[in-house]
Amino acid sequence: MTSRRKWALIPAFFAIATAATLLSAYSGASSSQGFAPVQPIAFPHPVHVQTLGMNCLYCHYSANKSPDPGLPAVGTCMGCHTVVGPNRPAMDGKPARVSEPLKTLQTLAPPGQADKWKTIPWVRVHKLPEYVRFPHMRHVSAGVTCQSCHGPVQEMAQVAQTASLNMGWCVNCHVKGYKLSDGLLAAGDTVGARAAANVEPKKARYDCAICHY
Amino acid sequence: MSQSSGSAGVKRREFLKVLGAASAVTTTIGCSQEKVEQLIPYLVSPDQTVPGVSTYYSTTCRECAAGCGVVAEVRDGRAIKLEGNPEHPVNRGALCARGQSALQGLYNPDRYRQPMVREGGKLVATTWDKAIALLTQKVAEVRAKGQGQQVVFIDEHASGTFGVFLDQWLGAVGFPAHDQYDSSADLALRAANVASYGVAMPGIDMAAASLVVSLGADFLDGRDASVPMQLAFADARAKLQHAPRFVYIGPRRSLTGLNADEWIACTPGSEDVIARALLGAVGGAGGATVAEAASASGVTEATLQRLADDLRTARPSLVLSGVSTPNAGVVATLAADINKAAGNVGVTVKPGEPMGGYGGAVGAQRMADIAGAANAGNVALLFVRGANPAYDTPKAVKFAEAMAKVPFKISFSSYPDETSELCDLVLPDDHSLESWGDAEAKPGVISLQQPVMERIFDTRATADVLLQLAQGDPAIAGRFPWKTYRDFLVSRFPGGAAAFTQALATGMANGSIAPRTAVAKPVAATAAPAAIAGDGDYFLVVYPHAVLGTGAGANKPWLQELPDPVSKVLWQSWIEIHPLTARKLGVASGDHVTVQTAAGSISAPAFTYLGIRQDTVAVALGQGHTAYGRYAKDLGINALDALGATWNGAGALALTQSKAKVSKAGTRSDLVTTEGSARQHGRGIAQAITVADLVAGRFKEEGHAFPGDANHEFLPGLRSPVAADAQGDLADPTSKDQGQYDPKHWSGMAKRRWAMTIDLARCTGCSACVTACYAENNIPTVGARWQGRALRPGSASDDSAWDTRPGANILKGREMSWLRIERYFEGGEDGTSDFEARFVPMMCQHCGNAPCEPVCPVYATYHAPDGLNVQVYNRCVGTRYCSNGCPYKVRYYNWHGYGEKERRQYAFPEPLHLQLNPDVTVRGKGVMEKCSFCVQRIREAENLAKLEGRELKPDEFTTACAQACPSKAIVFGDAADENWSVAKLAKDARGYHVFEELSTYTAVVYLKRVNHPAGGAN
Repeated sequence: MTSRRKWALIPAFFAIATAATLLSAYSGASSSQGFAPVQPIAFPHPVHVQTLGMNCLYCHYSANKSPDPGLPAVGTCMGCHTVVGPNRPAMDGKPARVSEPLKTLQTLAPPGQADKWKTIPWVRVHKLPEYVRFPHMRHVSAGVTCQSCHGPVQEMAQVAQTASLNMGWCVNCHVKGYKLSDGLLAAGDTVGARAAANVEPKKARYDCAICHY
Repeated sequence: MSQSSGSAGVKRREFLKVLGAASAVTTTIGCSQEKVEQLIPYLVSPDQTVPGVSTYYSTTCRECAAGCGVVAEVRDGRAIKLEGNPEHPVNRGALCARGQSALQGLYNPDRYRQPMVREGGKLVATTWDKAIALLTQKVAEVRAKGQGQQVVFIDEHASGTFGVFLDQWLGAVGFPAHDQYDSSADLALRAANVASYGVAMPGIDMAAASLVVSLGADFLDGRDASVPMQLAFADARAKLQHAPRFVYIGPRRSLTGLNADEWIACTPGSEDVIARALLGAVGGAGGATVAEAASASGVTEATLQRLADDLRTARPSLVLSGVSTPNAGVVATLAADINKAAGNVGVTVKPGEPMGGYGGAVGAQRMADIAGAANAGNVALLFVRGANPAYDTPKAVKFAEAMAKVPFKISFSSYPDETSELCDLVLPDDHSLESWGDAEAKPGVISLQQPVMERIFDTRATADVLLQLAQGDPAIAGRFPWKTYRDFLVSRFPGGAAAFTQALATGMANGSIAPRTAVAKPVAATAAPAAIAGDGDYFLVVYPHAVLGTGAGANKPWLQELPDPVSKVLWQSWIEIHPLTARKLGVASGDHVTVQTAAGSISAPAFTYLGIRQDTVAVALGQGHTAYGRYAKDLGINALDALGATWNGAGALALTQSKAKVSKAGTRSDLVTTEGSARQHGRGIAQAITVADLVAGRFKEEGHAFPGDANHEFLPGLRSPVAADAQGDLADPTSKDQGQYDPKHWSGMAKRRWAMTIDLARCTGCSACVTACYAENNIPTVGARWQGRALRPGSASDDSAWDTRPGANILKGREMSWLRIERYFEGGEDGTSDFEARFVPMMCQHCGNAPCEPVCPVYATYHAPDGLNVQVYNRCVGTRYCSNGCPYKVRYYNWHGYGEKERRQYAFPEPLHLQLNPDVTVRGKGVMEKCSFCVQRIREAENLAKLEGRELKPDEFTTACAQACPSKAIVFGDAADENWSVAKLAKDARGYHVFEELSTYTAVVYLKRVNHPAGGAN
């Protein structure tokens, strides 16, 4: 390789790098897998789901009837936390202690003074690009457990994005089919998973215009 | 490739090395975290709403006086789409382009965002408390001085209780009753109807007629009862061989005229003589012979004799009047006399079933009187609400100058229009989608108007402002005990609060709205209508724009971007001139023409048009605003500048009133038009057959150079080899996976074939479907001044660096209308003989064998198993090969990133973006886009059916265009399932595919138009 040719390669290198970077950014090919932002209130999913046994749909109330999963209104939080304040004994039976997250919540939403409530600026963890339609209700009503896509949220003190949410990941499930036993296992239901071991995988359409329009 | 090519430049190994290193860099840079977003929850969940699922509210459209019922689709608290209310007696589910565009009035970026007060000569923002205090003070001052009778309140013309309430308030404070001003209303017709039939607008049954004659009645041009009249017309035309023949008489062929089977081009102002001759023909005392009519109108005697004979034999018939000359009242009365003499009353004209809400309007003559009083110092206080007299009265009235003489002027306008900009206090009204109200749908039916969402700006309903004002005055507070205007409505509602709440679900209730007790002052009728006079060789015909009306629509980009149905010109004014006249004057299309009358002169580019007499030029109203927001200002000309203060006997401005001198102006500007060619050149795009052929069963198109095969079967999931290759493994014969194109595929997808039929016998070319498509599919408007391309590198704020001609993108053929109405002329090549116009709605044909699909290098367009030709925006890299391949030219390229906020060309400036349909991607720059058959609606219906555990029901949903169509010409559905209407219609003998000779196997079936030539079977 002559030196002249070598120098000619440097602009080419940058051109390709720039083009590829732009393309990958534009196509949304990069993934936020592992993204676990600090939330304004350190909401403990494990306490609500595992200790208290609350159903996901109690707070994410439209996941089974709307494309949007629904985010609990401040009023939903305050339904319990007007009574359950920061200074109550913790539900785990351990000695009483002050709960900082609940202090923050009650600062934003003073109990009994609904006119003074402020909204909670949650940081979004799971986001699909805007050219993708993801109807939650189709997946929930087909029996796909929340954890199949969102990971074991019931164990996450701070919610993180577990799956890549890339198209290949979506299509893989649509083509090969969703195994109910896998979903139940992810949700921590080992008994149900064993019972569902022989359920046929549920396939879905993988036509582009199912999600992209 | 030969080895030698490597030695000249970069070797393959080196290339791969560079590529590898580049990828490594990309991986490092590309993984940066995407923008962090916030999720903001509700404080308290609203009842009965589910996030991401639409709520629907019935309300009433207030864009014109017709009072159509609409259903507003509201998603997460914002109205995103308006559709006709299928239960409503006025519009039966249809909605015109203006009705659709109410949303752009609601979300108009130039709306007043809070009350404004004049300080130091400028309108500045203020608070409601201060504004109301100021108004209270001014009202008190006027009353203290005893000038109560010198107060004028100009309101928009609308039926309903508000007028009653307003008069009640005005009476309580000692002011005279208000005027309901309507600049576009045909007051002469209404007055004549009242005199002849006893009602302002009798019901019309065109389907019962066997001959319809229009004396300049432009009932398809968006005037007066536009949607109900169009429904009546389309229903009549759908009777095919039993449909009435339609004859249009007038100097200019309007959209209504283009829909006629025959155009009789008479001299402006001669309609009364023709009407007299026709009256004589049906046995009335007309007092004119056909020969007299022929000599007065410039029409041959034979033509008029044939019409007279037809009218005599055709029973029942229907004669409609709508001329805009000073003698309009005379013609309208004669038309009524003909109907009476021909026995049409009660058969085709039904005074017993009148349309509601057309009484009580005043015209521009009353505005002139007000201006006169103001000039004499006799107007102490002027209120204006929903009207814009400073713009839509002729210059001779000098309304703006007169306003300067009024000590204090209050506007309730939501928009910075010419009138409100002259006012001292602006108290912006809520939009009709944010406030309570009612309208008279028809006598005996109340149509309710309710807020469908929270207001977006700091505006207040005028009625509530007046209530607050009344309650602040101890002397009259007792007479206004209602907390809000809603309470007032409920107090008058038959059945009270419970019935009111119940009626809101459908938006309708039986009952009557008490009429205003103080009626508009009758206009002193002039002794004899003024003759059309003036220097010059040409008649000047001015007419309300079919979509912009008399100017109220000009601030809505959807309406500016909607091509005029006749000329196909948009974002611009034009002067219609006959091609032979143009040749005589040495004028080519686009050359500016000056029209000079005694009142003034106007100059605009010429549009050569066959549908106008050689001694006539015509200009549309609606443009030439000097205010009214960014989309309206400084665009085109105001045709009123060439009109004097000549009234038509009923108080309205005579729009055809004088002769004019016409000359070439010397400048030119290219016509902003979406028209490619006005001729079909044997392509058979818009096909028609005559009644005789229809009856005889001859369905082949005459003169279509390339006959094709219309019997394209709608196979379930019609497969295209290319499409299959794109997605499945059909190309690989050893593969077991046949993809979703396998009819036995487990997904069941292959059983559907989404398709559409368009009945050209019904379509009138009104273009309501186009606006519905813009609204549904987030289509950007691209014609505004700031949306042109860059001419050289420069900042976004430096205008000189950009192409700032209005419609610059459209001049380059870059409009984005996924659905367009093509208008073709047949015959009349010599410029003198009668011609025929045909309209074809043209959108992606969703070909089963699509030419666009094989040429896409990235499979961004492909064929879906349910028959859709899909465009995947995120795959598209913008090669535009598909558009080159498309024979229908229905693919549109997003040149400037109109959906991207940071760009100069951004099409949805805040808060217009709140209207965007959340179910449809807002496309970015460099992406090809096109009609998707409203795939989002297909998916929504499928999702709903799945949730409810059932199959899709036949005709369960439809596309936005089909939903809006005021002619019910478009039908959408699954053609592979016999139970859908579309499957039956697609087999109609009139059916054809456009360019079927190309074997594209389209999913759109057009049904041929049926013509009724003179002397034809009927």
